[in-house]
Order: sequence, then structure tokens, then C-alpha cells
Amino acid sequence: MPHRLKLAWRLLLRDWRAGELRILFAALVIAVGATSAIGFFTDRLQRAMGSQSAELLGADLILRAPRPISEAWLKQAEQLGLRHGETLEFPSMVLHGAEMRLAGIKAVADGYPLRGSLRISDAPYGAERDSRRIPPPGEAWAEARLLPLLGMEVGETLALGDIELKVTQIVAFEPGAGGNFAALAPRLLVNHSDVERAGILGVGSRVSRNYLFAGELTALARYKQWLTPQLEPSHRLVDVREDRPTVGAALERAERYLGLASLTAVLLAGVAIAMGARRYSERHFDVSAMLRCLGASQRDILALYLPQLLLLGLLGSGLGVAIGAAVQAGLFALLHELLPVRLPPPGLLPALLGLLTGLVVLAGFALPPILRLRQVPALRVLRRDLTPMPLRAWLVYGAAIGAMTLLMGRYTGSTTLTLSVLGGTLAALLLLGVLAWLLLRASRALRHGAGVAWRYGLNNLWRRPWTASGQILAFGLTLMAMALIALLRNDLLATWQAQLPERAPNHFVVNVLPAEVERFAGFLREHRIDSAQLYPLVRGRLTAVNGTPVEQVLAPGDDGGAVNRELNLTWSATLQADNAIVAGRWWDAQDAGQALVSLEVKLAQRLGAQVGDTLLFNFGGSELAARVASLRTVKWDSFKPNFFVIFPPGVLDAQPATWMTSLYAAPGQRAAMAQMARDFPAVTVIDLERLMEQVRRIMEQVTLAVEYVLIFVLLAGFAVLYAALQASLDERLYEGALLRTLGASRYQLRAGHLAEYALLGLLAGLFAAAGSELIAWQLYSRVFQLDYAFKWPLWLLLPPLGALLIGAAGYWGTRHVVRRSPLAVLRAL
Amino acid sequence: METIVSAEQVGKQVAVASGTLTILQDVSFSVAAGESLAIVGVSGSGKSTLLGLLAGLDLPSSGRIRLAGEELNALDEDGRARLRGQKVGFVFQTFQLLPGLTALENVMLPLELAGNPAAMAQATALLERVGLGQRLDHYPKQLSGGEQQRVAIARAFAIGPALLFADEPTGNLDAATGGRIIDLLFALNAEQGTTLILVTHDDKLAARCGRRLHLDAGRVVADERKD
Repeated sequence: MPHRLKLAWRLLLRDWRAGELRILFAALVIAVGATSAIGFFTDRLQRAMGSQSAELLGADLILRAPRPISEAWLKQAEQLGLRHGETLEFPSMVLHGAEMRLAGIKAVADGYPLRGSLRISDAPYGAERDSRRIPPPGEAWAEARLLPLLGMEVGETLALGDIELKVTQIVAFEPGAGGNFAALAPRLLVNHSDVERAGILGVGSRVSRNYLFAGELTALARYKQWLTPQLEPSHRLVDVREDRPTVGAALERAERYLGLASLTAVLLAGVAIAMGARRYSERHFDVSAMLRCLGASQRDILALYLPQLLLLGLLGSGLGVAIGAAVQAGLFALLHELLPVRLPPPGLLPALLGLLTGLVVLAGFALPPILRLRQVPALRVLRRDLTPMPLRAWLVYGAAIGAMTLLMGRYTGSTTLTLSVLGGTLAALLLLGVLAWLLLRASRALRHGAGVAWRYGLNNLWRRPWTASGQILAFGLTLMAMALIALLRNDLLATWQAQLPERAPNHFVVNVLPAEVERFAGFLREHRIDSAQLYPLVRGRLTAVNGTPVEQVLAPGDDGGAVNRELNLTWSATLQADNAIVAGRWWDAQDAGQALVSLEVKLAQRLGAQVGDTLLFNFGGSELAARVASLRTVKWDSFKPNFFVIFPPGVLDAQPATWMTSLYAAPGQRAAMAQMARDFPAVTVIDLERLMEQVRRIMEQVTLAVEYVLIFVLLAGFAVLYAALQASLDERLYEGALLRTLGASRYQLRAGHLAEYALLGLLAGLFAAAGSELIAWQLYSRVFQLDYAFKWPLWLLLPPLGALLIGAAGYWGTRHVVRRSPLAVLRAL
Repeated sequence: METIVSAEQVGKQVAVASGTLTILQDVSFSVAAGESLAIVGVSGSGKSTLLGLLAGLDLPSSGRIRLAGEELNALDEDGRARLRGQKVGFVFQTFQLLPGLTALENVMLPLELAGNPAAMAQATALLERVGLGQRLDHYPKQLSGGEQQRVAIARAFAIGPALLFADEPTGNLDAATGGRIIDLLFALNAEQGTTLILVTHDDKLAARCGRRLHLDAGRVVADERKD
């Protein structure tokens, strides 16, 4: 019925002019603005972070295979619009004059790397630059440490199989080098076409083929999905998460945080919308009653209000998305120095998602109160006190919970996370609702000794304990959400900083010969190079647990991983500072020489090994049985030497060992590092600096995202505050006018308002402290894998903060109550 | 003459904390088309409740009411709304204009609800008839009490109702303004041949009606007709 629509449109315009829609509209705009700003921001940042990470890998996705893969697999990648390339990696001897060394050969073709770039220099440890090229046929680029080993200079030639290659550049950083310490031999980068000419790849050669893929995220995801079920056991599919546990874990936590933060913003805005809609609905009872009186059916009422709601939703969401896009653009402009130069443009998806979010939130939080308008009795025109039946609780909460579930599912992409967070929140709300009511009851003790103004204000709360409880819940929820997001931010940042301290090790040194250990340690001291402890490295294989062969104790499908290779075993008298014993005990001095081991806890779980069990090791033919003395957690992403299995000193003395450590070389210590390569020719130095720098840059971006998301959540929180204040304003206006006619002074009224809101804020703060403690405890352990400690500052900070914030906002929000003349207020009713 | 509204042994009880409160008891009468009826009585005698029942804004606890040939008990709330939209106009003590709408828009509202395409022209003509031709675009709060009640009267007559219910139409106005409003109400009533049922404390207003129904404690105690 077009004339109904026209009427709906005109009513909407009239309400707009009369300012009736302000809160609802503002809450909606903030909700959508905040979520879509977060959406746009994280979408772009995630893509930027993804591409940064891909630069480390040289591709978005790598398939490692021992043999050439089926052509069909590459065709499928092309069909999905993915670029692809191939590299070969294999160990081979290289010669220069009389010197002969094992090098890790990497053969690359044009187009390598698909992401990021090679860093090269003209001389060992010289100035680095990006390279867009690869070594042309007949040339090779070598890692700096290879040259002293062969006693050669840049510009000279070396022999690889049947061919001679001229070394023309030094490779400083190579995407996709990986943290693979099995390939400890120095790198030699050659052209793919030279491999065949060299004639070194015969049958049975140990070649690792890396198939590199890059392209659109969705195409990559589809390709991964298509490929995974067809992979053979010897195939390994690698993306940045698997390749770099540090970056992967940080990205994952950041994504969860951002997802959670946007959800929090949506939830807060939802509460604001619900309040706005409730007020809107209540202010339209008279209109609805009049319309009913004039002959409108229930259906007519809906036909009038639903299109208004839809229109409002579209306009508000549209404006919200526009604001979100603008805020996001402004943010990126502001931060351009910190961010990568090439940022992907904002996607369309966050815009659509923002619109959808607006409509879903509106439907979930505003629809129930609007539906209530249809039930306003026509008799209300004669009897103002008649209101429609209150909404059924299940309808109100069901709609809101339904909307939140829908959005949560979309934002987190995880059903378990959604359900657990939602379930936890509901249980907490119920519990805390009762708590709020109890707190309110308890606060009645304040009544004695309070002045008249304060008593008037506080009476406002006690008179309607359930309404007040609802307000405490809303304010408390807001404070809680803000506190949680701020808390998480601090702990996430602290965790990341702890992972990558300023002077984190940036080089690994391996292959320090036993005879050189003392001299090497002296060298480090002399050049003031920070290093970790020097650890002996003994190669050995774990063969049996309590007499059962290892292959039989592993769960089906567990190919063994580290267990199947030769393990790097070590001994140490002291426990590494970042390891923690979770079972058994670390040994002391008199245990030296005892056949004991300390086992990494996850490996122990896979082996089903407990403290007291016996492990059998094989060292090139000789066997050793050792009892498990303790289980340890290990921080694998610490950039320090880490071990699955540690013996006490004196057990492995008879085994051949080399020594290793990690160290931090400051930029000014390059010369010392070059000196080290000359003084200790056998020592292998693995440079992590470039890798660390990139990890650090990614972390910086993640940190930034986390910082700014907090702002959006705070904004949404303030929207709730505003809406809640507005919602209670009508009644207060009326009461204020009445009290002033009865002779109350402005001062008394204002003091009353201050008292009311300050107490409300205080209680909400207490509530928020309890709620944050509860939820943080769950979130930390279940979602973010962070250690949780009792957050006592919350209890000190939140209640006064709540009193201050809500007291001030309430004081400011109710200023009209005393400004407008009582006559004007009473007349308007 | 044709009966337009009738009440048969109408009773109304409401549940209160202490039990049941009887507001109306055994009320029977009928009103012929074109009559003017004043329901009078002291505060709390049940006048407004009776008006609400007669207009179909509420249903009686017992008894039957027929309005413009339809049995109200047999209609659901939407059916009664439709009937009101077609046959009934209202004027209230507190005017009940929608504050967000201009005078013209308020008068257009019932016409728009009925889907009348000439809503604006008819509403304009009516406002001119009640003397507010110059104030079409004014909002209720920009109008005096008397002017607001004139807008309300224009709105009540907009659909050309068979019946007009008025609840204390002069209750919020001074004597002079009230007098002019009464004149207007009766003039329009005469022009359109509407049946008028009003509740009032105002003896002057009641005296102008053709018939007076006296209520006391929920019962009809007298039904007087002007000769």
C-alpha cells in the first residue's frame, strides 16, 4: 500500500524533525561506525600483515615435496588465478681450488620470490639492497659465511658438479629460508637452468622441491581446501602460521582480539540501541493509541513503524559505514609512517558487513520494543496510565541473543568460541543481575545521615530496584567491556614485548668444536657480545619408551616429526629461565652422571611418557636407557636454543658433541661477526636479524591495530552511557519540574542527580570489576592462551572510575532538568 | 428513529488488589441517530468508562453494546478499530493532538489512515471552517488551548463520522473559550447530522444537549430529555 508507505515516510520525517530519533539513530551510527571502522581497519591491516608475513615466506603458500608433483595440481592453481613458481633445495659439495665445502643449494627461476624480495650486497656484511633479479645462468650468489670457508672472494668462481659458477653477489636475506636448522650448510643461490647442466641430481638425490603459490586470499583458501585431501604423507603444505610460530601465534591472538573487540562494540551499541528503541517506543504509546482510536488496525501500526525502522536502519547503517570508512582512512593517513608503503585498498566486504550488522542489531535490539507499539490499547486516549503488556522476556532476550549469535558466528568464525562466550556471558549476566540487586539493597544503609538532596537522589534508585538494577547492568556491562578490552590489550602487548625484547638474540651459532669452546666464549666476552649459555649438541635417536618401540607408542596418524629424525640432545646443570617444570623435579649437583632426562611436556604427551618412565636412546649404535626425571614447558618462539630432551651433566660425555648458542649482535658489531667467521672457520653463524626485524614490524602493526580498536570500543561504550541517560531523562524532567514547583532549589536537585548517578556508577564499577575478573579468567586461558593473574587493580580502579564517569555524565545529561522552567515542562505533558 | 448506539445491561468490573471493583452496573439505554446526549455525574461515577465502552475502546465485562449496527462483543480489537475509523470521531479534554505533526497533518491523519487521496484538500477545508486557515503549519505547542481543541474538532469531523464522542471537551479551557468551542461543536454537529455523545461536568454544555443521562456509582439514575 503505497499511501501507507508515504505516511510512514512522513511520520519518520516528522519524528526526525522533532528529535525523537536522535538516540536511536546515533546509537546505530556509532554501532555501525565502530564496527565497520574496525572491520575496514583490520581487513586492510590483516591483508597488510598477511602480505608482510608472506614476504618472509616468499609466497602465500608453499608445498614442499620430495618429487615433482602432478601437473594437474599446478593447472588447478592457475585456474584459480594463483601465480606459482618452483625452487629446488638440496645439499651439494662446492669446490674452490683445494677447498671443498657442503653447501645448501637453492635453485630458483625467474619470478622468485612470489612475495617479498631477496636482499643482496656486493661484499660480505656490506650494505644491503633489495634485488628484483635472481642469479643469471652461470652465476651464483652465496651466503657471506661460505666465502671464508672456501677461502675465496666475490668475483671468483666455484665448481658445482660439472659446471663453474662465478659468485657475483652476497645473499643477505632470502625469503623462504625458513627456520630449518637441519639445513645448516651455507646457502648458495643458483639459477634453475644451471642445475641440469651441473648434472648433480641423480636418482636418489635428497632434493626438496618447493612449489610456491601466491594470489587472492579466497582463491588461496579454496586451493588449500582442494589440495589438502590429495596430499601424500611426504608432502607438506606451509603457510606463514606454520612456518613461524611466533608470528602465527601473534597474528592469531591479534585476530581474536580484534574480533572480540568488534563484537564488544556491537554488543555495547546493541544495548544503546535497545535503550534508544525502548524510549522511542514509550514516547510513541500516545501516538499509537491515537492512531488506534482513529481506526488503525494492529497491522496498520506495524505497516507504519516497520518501514520506518527499516529506513532508519538503512540510513543509519549507511552513514555508519561511511563514517567507518572515513575514520579508517584518516587513521591510515595518520599512521602512514608506521605502516607498509603499499596497503591494499579497503574491501567491499566490511561495508556490506557493516550494513548487515546495523540491520541485524536493529532487528535484535530495537524490533521487540517497536513491536510492542502494536499492542498499545486504544483506551489509553482516555486513561494515560494504560500501557501495553510488557514484552515477554524471551522475546526481548531471544531476539538480542539471536542477533548476537549471528554476528558472533560471523565475526569469530568459530561455533565453539561463539557458544562458549555467549553462554558464559549469559550465565554471568544472570548472576551479576542478582548481584546488582543485592548491592542496591545493601546501599540503602547509606540513607542514614545523608542530606535531603542525596536522599532524594538515592531514593530514585531504591524506589525502582529492578529498573536501577537494569541500569547498573547496562553501565556495568559497558565499564566491563571497556575494562576487558583495555586489560587484554595491556597483557597482549606485554606478552609480545616479552617475546621480542630489544636485545633479543639475532644470531644462532652452531658447530663450535669442543676444543674451541673456551676460546669462543672468550671471544664473545672480549667483543662484548650478549649470548645465551653455550649448549653441547649431541645427535641421537629416541627408539623406545618403557621397552615399546617409538613407532608403536605414537598415536595413529602421528608421523613422529622430531622423534623420527635424529634429536638434538644436550646436557645442562641449570634449567633455562623460560622453561618451567610441570612434573617431577629438576636435578641437583649430586644427580650429575645419573641416567636421567628432562622431557618437553608436549613430546611426553605424544609419547605417553610420565615421570619415572624409561626412554631408550641410540647414539650411532650405542644404546643408553634413561629415566624421565621431569617434564618441562618450552618457549619455542624465544629465539634461544631450545631442546626436547635434556640430560644432566656427565651422562653424554662419551658422545661426540659440538656446541651452540644464540647471541645478539648490535648493528655496530658487524665487524666482530666477520672476525668470528675468520677466527672460527668451523663455526656456522645463522643470521636471524632480517627475520627478527620483519617479525618486529608485524608485531608493531598488530600492536597498533590493538591500540586503535580500543578507542572504538570506548566510543561504543560512551554511546551506551548517552542512550541510558537519555532514556531516563523524560521522567526526571517531570519529577524535577514537580519538585521545583514544590520549592526544591536547583542546587538540591543537581546534588540529588549527582548522588544518584554517582552511586549508580559506583555499583556499576563494582559489578564491572567482578564481571571482568570472571570473564577475563575464562578468556585468557581458553581463547588467548595467556597466563591469568588476579587483577586487583580493577577492584581499586573501576568503582571510583564508574562513580566519576557516570556521575559526571549524569550530572551533565540532566542539566536541562533544572534549566527549563517547570511550567514549560509540566505544560508539555 | 434509527438507533445508532445501544447498551444492554452493561456492567464493568476491574480486578484490584482487594478484590473486584464494580465501575458500571446494569446500564441500558439507546441513542437515536442525530440525537445529542450528555453523560453527567460526579467524579468516579463511571462516565468516562461508559464513553470508552460505547466508542468500542474497551469491552464491557457483561452486557452488550451495539454501535452503528454492529455488535461490539463480536468484533476483535482490529474490527472495532475499523469501525471507529469509518464511523466514529473523538474530541478529548486534553486535545490529544500528535505533538510532532502540524495542525494540517493532525487533521489529515484519519483521512490518510482511511486511504483518502484527497486528504490534504479536505483537511485544509475543515481547518478553514474552524477558523484556523492561517495556522495550518503550526505545531500543537505553538497553538493556544482553544486553538488546539479546534484542530481536534476538525480532526474528529474529518471522516464525516456518524457518531462523535467527546470527553470533557471544555474541561481544560476557560469559560469564554469553552463557550466558543461548544458553539463550534454544535454547529458542525448540525451541519453534518452527526450523533453527539459527550461526557461533561459543565452544566451549560450539558444543558445544550437534547438528552442527559445521570450516572451515580455506576448506575443510570436519571435519563432526562429536553422537550
